[in-house]
Amino acid sequence: MATAPAGVSTSARGVVSSKAELSKPQLSKGMLRLPWASRRRASSRRLVLVASSPSTPPNISEKVVESIKKAEETCAEDAASGECAAAWDEVEELSAAASHARDKIKASDPLEEYCKDNPETDECRTYED
Amino acid sequence: MMVCSLYPALRVTTPWSCSESHLGSCRKQLMFCVSRRKARRRAWTGVSCSAETRTVVIGLAADSGCGKSTFMRRLTSVLGGVAEPPRGCNAYSNTLVGDATTVICLDDYHALDREGRKEKGVTALDPKANNFDLMYEQVRALKSGVAVEKPVYNHVTGCLDPPELIRPPNILFIEGLHPLFDPRIRSLLDFSIYLDISNEVKFAWKIQRDMAERGESLESIKASIKARKSDFDMYIDPQKQYADAIIEVLPTRLIPEKSATEVLRVRLVMREGVKHFTPVYLFDEGSTISWTPCGGKLSCSYPGIRFFYGPDTYFSDEASVLEMDGQFDRLDELIYVESHLSNLSTKYYGEVTQQMLKHADFPGSNDGTGLFQTIIGLKIRQLYEQIIAGESSHGWKREQLRRCLRLSPV
Repeated sequence: MATAPAGVSTSARGVVSSKAELSKPQLSKGMLRLPWASRRRASSRRLVLVASSPSTPPNISEKVVESIKKAEETCAEDAASGECAAAWDEVEELSAAASHARDKIKASDPLEEYCKDNPETDECRTYED
Repeated sequence: MMVCSLYPALRVTTPWSCSESHLGSCRKQLMFCVSRRKARRRAWTGVSCSAETRTVVIGLAADSGCGKSTFMRRLTSVLGGVAEPPRGCNAYSNTLVGDATTVICLDDYHALDREGRKEKGVTALDPKANNFDLMYEQVRALKSGVAVEKPVYNHVTGCLDPPELIRPPNILFIEGLHPLFDPRIRSLLDFSIYLDISNEVKFAWKIQRDMAERGESLESIKASIKARKSDFDMYIDPQKQYADAIIEVLPTRLIPEKSATEVLRVRLVMREGVKHFTPVYLFDEGSTISWTPCGGKLSCSYPGIRFFYGPDTYFSDEASVLEMDGQFDRLDELIYVESHLSNLSTKYYGEVTQQMLKHADFPGSNDGTGLFQTIIGLKIRQLYEQIIAGESSHGWKREQLRRCLRLSPV
């Protein structure tokens, strides 16, 4: 496949070259495998880190924290006032917006996003026979 | 008034022609001549207008954080297609546009933005913060097939953004805090749903939503709910008496611990006598049934599933109530339950199960919330088809003709 990642191809080349050099004992066969395996493990570890649970975009997250502080200050003065209710309503609104933003990030797929704008490209063509 | 006096004098000089047929709608080009009796002279005027099928309007009322978005996604999926924000427009648009549906968030009709509400000390739940006149005008325009420039409320900045164009769809959903508040808007709705979440469940859901991510404290969530409660009880809760279908979500009764919210008891209250809406029933319509499907034929894990069905009164109106307590664990439980429910308005056996599986990752897919939301979606589809079928008769054509006359004054 043309789109094989670079890491795989270089390790494969490495494997081929070392095989050609000498008839290595069992240990080196294990060692031969290890760099590719460890790279794979490393990359999969990297992938695991990247594919963690979606976090709120920082601007919304900051706004929520700020609004909670403001609400607590406003309500410290007068807990029954309209201003206190409005402040906590703002917290609720921003929390809802944060939750929707998280859902959007979770649901978005980079390929789908790209294909929405460029449906005629090779990667995005669909064939229905 | 002018319409009534003109109509009898109307002479159709060219026959109706159906130029295009698309998704059941028929665009008709009509040319006719009108003679004005009142002016005592013959004025021959040609007026052309095109008539499309009308928009069916559905209202969904619920508090913030009660699953309106999930409900909307399920509904638009049942009705066909995926509803997405309109492309190329405001990135913070709250509108969703699908193949046959458009979902409008009523927060866009806030009269006061966040700063304005803070100054006046009102919450978004307060009717003073919403522009009901504009809401009514635009919903009425969309219902009669006229596109509108709807304002956009940006939930992140809290400001009102420039308006976006909304074209009249086949089915228009208006979801938000106040779809049933104003009587004029209520009169425009073909069907309305209210999501009634009990306080314990609401609290549990908000904890799940807000604490998991950044550890918002329990006290702040409690304070937020408490502060909004009085406005909610005064303005939002009373809307449920006007809804045609109410979905109540309560803690389960199957687990002895007081108010356990991990498992939900969901009640679907269906008003009797709603046009084009036939309530779902279990075994025998009008009887009171208590059904535990788990037993010899079906084995379920703890705490199992229990169904109740029976007639009831809701705000002194007759209603039927279908209740599910418990959770589905396996596919065969779902299909077993579906095979015993009647009047589901499905087009083929297993449609409810298929829809539930299609969205197995949505919250509520394994309990009554997902089940009843899917059923309501199928009911809305049936309602839409019946309305459109009913209106494609001669009576509708006459009504469109009258409307056409009113729109193009001669």
